[in-house]
Amino acid sequence: MADYRSPAENANPQTGPDRIDYKDLDYLSKHLNPQGQIFSRRRTAFSTKRQRLLKQAVKRARHLALLPFVG
Amino acid sequence: MSLYEAMFVLDNDAVRAGWADAKGIATGILEKHGAKVHTARRWDERRLAYPIRGKQRGTYLLTFVEAGADAIGPISRDLELEERVLRYLILSAEGVPAGEDDLSKAEQGADFVVPEPPRDDEPRPARVEEPAPEKEAGEKAEEKPAEGEAAEKAPADEAEKPAEAQAQPEGASAEESKPALATEAPKES
Repeated sequence: MADYRSPAENANPQTGPDRIDYKDLDYLSKHLNPQGQIFSRRRTAFSTKRQRLLKQAVKRARHLALLPFVG
Repeated sequence: MSLYEAMFVLDNDAVRAGWADAKGIATGILEKHGAKVHTARRWDERRLAYPIRGKQRGTYLLTFVEAGADAIGPISRDLELEERVLRYLILSAEGVPAGEDDLSKAEQGADFVVPEPPRDDEPRPARVEEPAPEKEAGEKAEEKPAEGEAAEKAPADEAEKPAEAQAQPEGASAEESKPALATEAPKES
């Protein structure tokens, strides 16, 4: 259980633990439900920082119409 | 001067008129305000997640530019006024990612062709976008010699990509942007 929130486990091997790219839609969509809502920290098991990076990346992708706001 | 990553969503009507010109819409605005365009390349052409100004599809242009911080405001203003740019996003970047330079240079080659963007009312592909057409193509290739009707049976999502694959060759060097070498090494591992 101690390793459950380990950054290495959560990190995207392409971008590393301290970055989430808004163009990496495969990675982002892993952390969205079918409606496009971001999973909670409880579900993603991300650190505060990484959850914030995820939020930022998803919002950037939504702005560019890469991801839906709803639906 | 600092490095920025700028992504643009271009109107497909402008892309149909010629990729070099379409690219010039965005890079022209950047250069007008003294920005130096390091790389500029077509990132993707895709269905928008929601319609923007009535458009269902758009072409994404990814650029890395060096600009002064005080140029970003005027650039944003011009981009807002430019109707052929549906959306844009300008972020500060730590470096130009590896490979970006090559992809950008490849666009300037004479043999680079941009596929004609599909029409907006093209039928929506099946739920899963990426794996489906590949699988279909594979199946089709296998079955075609045996039975001809398998091709007809293939669902509409197949028409999405290969159907209108004719493309016009690009003007050799219509771009004035010369992607220079990145000043910083890309830090992404």
